[in-house]
Amino acid sequence: MKLNWFSPLPPARTGIAQYTAQILPALSARADVTLWTDQTEWNESLEQHAKVRRFEPERVRWSELNLADATVYHMGNNPFFHYGCWQTSRRHPGIVVLHDTRLHHFFAGVYRERWRDREGYVEQMKRLYGEDGRRTAEAFWTTRGGPEHIAEAYPLTPLALENSLGVLVHTGEAFRKLAGEKRWPTIYAPLPYAAATRLKKRRRSAATSASQTPYRLIVFGYINPNRRLDALLEALASFPERTRFQLDVYGEMWNADYLNERVGALKLEGLVNFRGFVSESELNCALDEADLAVNLRFPTMGESSLTQLQIWEHSLPSLVTTVDWYRELSTEAVAFVRPEHEVQDIQTHLWDFLSDPKRFARMGQKGRRILERRHSPEIYADALLKFAGQTETLHRRAITHRLSERVGAEMGAWIHPRTKNDAFNRVAEKILPLVV
Amino acid sequence: MRILIATVQIPFVRGGAEVHAEGLRDALRASGHEAEIVAIPFRWYPPERVVEHILACRLLDLTEFTGIKTDMLIGLKFPAYLIPHPNKVIWILHQHRQAYDLWNNTSLGDLVNFPDGAQARDAIRHADTQLIPEARAVYANSMNVAARLKKYCGIDSTPLYHPPQNAAQFHCLDAEDYLFFPSRLSAGKRQELVLEALAETRQPVRVCFAGSADDPTYARTLKELSAKLKVERRVVWLGHVSEKKKRDMYARALGVVYAPWDEDYGYVTLEAMLASKPVITCTDSGGTLEFVCDGETGLIAEPNAVALARAMDALWQNRRRAKKWGRAGRQRYESLGISWENVVRTLLRQDADR
Repeated sequence: MKLNWFSPLPPARTGIAQYTAQILPALSARADVTLWTDQTEWNESLEQHAKVRRFEPERVRWSELNLADATVYHMGNNPFFHYGCWQTSRRHPGIVVLHDTRLHHFFAGVYRERWRDREGYVEQMKRLYGEDGRRTAEAFWTTRGGPEHIAEAYPLTPLALENSLGVLVHTGEAFRKLAGEKRWPTIYAPLPYAAATRLKKRRRSAATSASQTPYRLIVFGYINPNRRLDALLEALASFPERTRFQLDVYGEMWNADYLNERVGALKLEGLVNFRGFVSESELNCALDEADLAVNLRFPTMGESSLTQLQIWEHSLPSLVTTVDWYRELSTEAVAFVRPEHEVQDIQTHLWDFLSDPKRFARMGQKGRRILERRHSPEIYADALLKFAGQTETLHRRAITHRLSERVGAEMGAWIHPRTKNDAFNRVAEKILPLVV
Repeated sequence: MRILIATVQIPFVRGGAEVHAEGLRDALRASGHEAEIVAIPFRWYPPERVVEHILACRLLDLTEFTGIKTDMLIGLKFPAYLIPHPNKVIWILHQHRQAYDLWNNTSLGDLVNFPDGAQARDAIRHADTQLIPEARAVYANSMNVAARLKKYCGIDSTPLYHPPQNAAQFHCLDAEDYLFFPSRLSAGKRQELVLEALAETRQPVRVCFAGSADDPTYARTLKELSAKLKVERRVVWLGHVSEKKKRDMYARALGVVYAPWDEDYGYVTLEAMLASKPVITCTDSGGTLEFVCDGETGLIAEPNAVALARAMDALWQNRRRAKKWGRAGRQRYESLGISWENVVRTLLRQDADR
């Protein structure tokens, strides 16, 4: 099978680029893959597995795309990484992989920052969510902040699926929702991760640890406010046994000055280290050394977490928020923090950790087993390619949907309500053989 | 019988398909039937329009008018041949080739150049595959068209040849010093290849091209190419000619060179045979190969300039043989029994049920 693959590519600093690098060996073993990118540079190692082609959204050579059997687009919330992909997907139908299930950030970025198209944004909000959506859009447009608070109620995700043949999601919840709408054929496949074989860590025993070096907590990735570092710092500050922990934070931070200030104000100097963005090998060493990962999110955009899979790769126990994808994780593999009781729950888990670190170590091992069983790139590639193999049927389904919409709009404008059903049924009977 | 002929028409454009439909209508009338042409306007771009036209055709009810039954429907062109009728016979001129054999051809087919081209392709193929078999019988314009229908849709059909327009008026005169190439100027007809071949000939071969260009820029391109190849003195561009002038050009030609890419049927070959002229064609020219016998009624060359040049030289050098092959072509035409009477008899045959 010839496959077009639109995705950010490493070294782009996004989990979706990492995801593509993770899945590519398994994918290219099963299909002839062409990676399409609007980036100017990419890791040469990708070319061991696939052709890499540059594209400009305004000047795509459609015949090249058409000569493949299927096209797969990857959508996330960062307009910088996904704008070209989205623009192409609007014209050339393909399968859309939703890495975030709420895409308001993406569309706010496109309409507000890139296009400065207030009218267009308001119109889309009204079209999808009615008068309520219009009012919300008007109010949001004049604020300076992001759309976190409205993304859940007004995800705008259908805009990314307008011309899609089908959707692949990484969470059970997103699958149930989208499949329930019956608008797009949808499949669910857990986020893939090529887990490296790692030597078992020498975990310290509870007996030796009490008086020895502190346990290492780790937070890593891009540190946005939704990573809840504020809550973690607060929980540590008021935790009586805080000196038995050390927190290392790896990755870029949305506001380093603010976080440093908070550390100072909470008197956590010496306990908290901001390490910044580091190489993969350095991060791997840090994860090997760590005892407990803190991987909180609130709010989320419905994404599944590559970070969580990295945590499990290192057999690390972790604290996660009871929200969206994280909520579906096994209680044997993670410890949950409720968004409304963050400080309290974090502290409870820290006490539990101190009293029974072995139980937490078992959590990490369980996570590793889940990672190997459910997140295999090979299983994911098989599922995706099976779906992509149905492109011909998906084409017919999509074109029939469009035809029905066209007929509905045309006839709906003049047909008498009394004869409406008969007329629509007759047209539907004629449309059906075009698909089935 | 009251018979409707379903075809499509591109408004303001008249070509072989219109002549074909009119020929059938006249033949049916001559056989004592009431016959009318129903021509559906057709636009094939953007690709979503094609599917809308399929639906429009499917929604038409041509079974009766003013209380009088239409006894039969003969479908000729896509998507008009998909119009339903309980007594339908399809005689396919050709399918929407851009969704089939021209899909991979980015210069001759344009569907592949549209972003949603593949989607339309799949819908067209599915509609043909599902709906053509509704017909009581399926005929094809040529073996080539029948083979495509079998290859892409798995549908069997019977080739049914018909005569060119005014077949009886073709005649033969003494050969003059030119090969004749009558056809629209378009990439698919490959006038370019003939110009390149002309540059490779060793004999002072001359070619007269008749026909107007689909795209005026293409006519310019051809003229520029002939200048570049330094063959412009051996080329005549007649442009559009009347039917009478065309028959006269056939009559006085040494032979006909006709090297299109995968032609459905190819009136030019039949017209040449009617005018007792040998035909040079190519191994990939499609329908022409059903009529030209290599070394008996003409020559079949590989589709490259050198091979085609050798064939043109061969014909140019041996006038007696050219005359003999021309006469053999005429005899072959007559042996094929190509006539409108046969077409009408075959299409109306009730035992041709699938």
